[in-house]
Amino acid sequence: MNHRPNPFVARSLTIAALGLALLAGPARAHHSFAMFDNDHPGALTGVVKQVIWSNPHIALLVYRDAKPSETPELWTFESGSPGNLTRAGWTSRSFQPGDRVMVQYLPLRDGGDAGQIVKATVLATGKVYGTGEK
Amino acid sequence: MTPVMGALLRLWAAAALAVPMMAAAQDAPPVINPPPTAKDWAAIGKLPDWSGVWIPDTPDPREMARRTKANPAPWTEKAAARIAKQNEDRKAGRPDNIFANCLPEGMPTWMMISNNAMEIAMVPGRIYFLGESDGNRLRRIYTDGRPHPAEPDPTFHGDSIGHWEGDTLVVDTIGILPQVWLATGEASGVPNDGDMHVVERIRLTGPDALTDTLTITAPHVLTRPWTTTRLFNRSRRRDYDIVEGVCLQENFTAETDETGDAVFKPQAMRDDGIRKPVDKPTGGEAR
Repeated sequence: MNHRPNPFVARSLTIAALGLALLAGPARAHHSFAMFDNDHPGALTGVVKQVIWSNPHIALLVYRDAKPSETPELWTFESGSPGNLTRAGWTSRSFQPGDRVMVQYLPLRDGGDAGQIVKATVLATGKVYGTGEK
Repeated sequence: MTPVMGALLRLWAAAALAVPMMAAAQDAPPVINPPPTAKDWAAIGKLPDWSGVWIPDTPDPREMARRTKANPAPWTEKAAARIAKQNEDRKAGRPDNIFANCLPEGMPTWMMISNNAMEIAMVPGRIYFLGESDGNRLRRIYTDGRPHPAEPDPTFHGDSIGHWEGDTLVVDTIGILPQVWLATGEASGVPNDGDMHVVERIRLTGPDALTDTLTITAPHVLTRPWTTTRLFNRSRRRDYDIVEGVCLQENFTAETDETGDAVFKPQAMRDDGIRKPVDKPTGGEAR
């Protein structure tokens, strides 16, 4: 399920990483989700670095699987609020650092290394976390 | 002290005393909220039971579009043009979340568009709506018979006065800040520009269903009063209880400072508001 970026996307990723990595900018955390592309869902596997369990959107940080010669890319997957995700069956401990996961996501339209979670699966247990109410 | 000096001093002392007394006599005495009695608390038990956690009905985009088409807001020409532009931007993936600054949605927009749950609590003389997103997503509806203040200081949620008509709470809200967005989505709305008046009829429409029917008069952005509804569904599950929701928390990252204290530091962000965590892998070079 490890999908490979096409060269265009890879180039965009580099540009995005260079151009945006240090952008602190004005407070815009409470963003919309329109920057994610509903029509082209993707999936990747990787290893959880961290869960940021905070409002208004949680983030699941995942090192995407890479070849031994490559440095794994760190992807940022965002989802709903802790309250809404709790009602969808998540806890702050659903994903632990080091867990291997498969994330199904809506990608950024600009090709950046982030996405909106559709579903995330802990591969060791097969437990699936979605975003709808349980 | 001469008799004249003594008389002058007495006159001065009397004047000094009289001035504050006169000023006090001109002010109306403060209105005191009467302490609730056991009977007042018992009366709460006879009202419709709205206690618990209410989850707003949040239709998917297709259903949302259908509803908007069925009951469009009667926007003025200027407001309609701005909303048309916002809709184009959203479709093109250039979202402008009008609530990105984390200020409250305010009234009536909170009731209309929030995706976040709320809890309702009734006490004698007032009803609280406690929103999950931020401690300041809070409405106080006074039901003790008081009128609106003659000149309310505008606030995000305005001044709300409620009264019961049978099982329906009728809430009248004025005093809303002109900057508060009248919005039908997080990226679709305009500032109300002032003089907004909202009348809500809120009632249980099922054992665990609460319907808020809002009639909004916003003379600077709507051509006529507009009536719309929002449904909230109750859950009694304990794991659905409200949790804290601080909107600005995402702008910060939990770190440890040089003294070893746990601190929040600004979180690096992409310009669209997605976190851009600084990658510091252990045992390797930072990218």
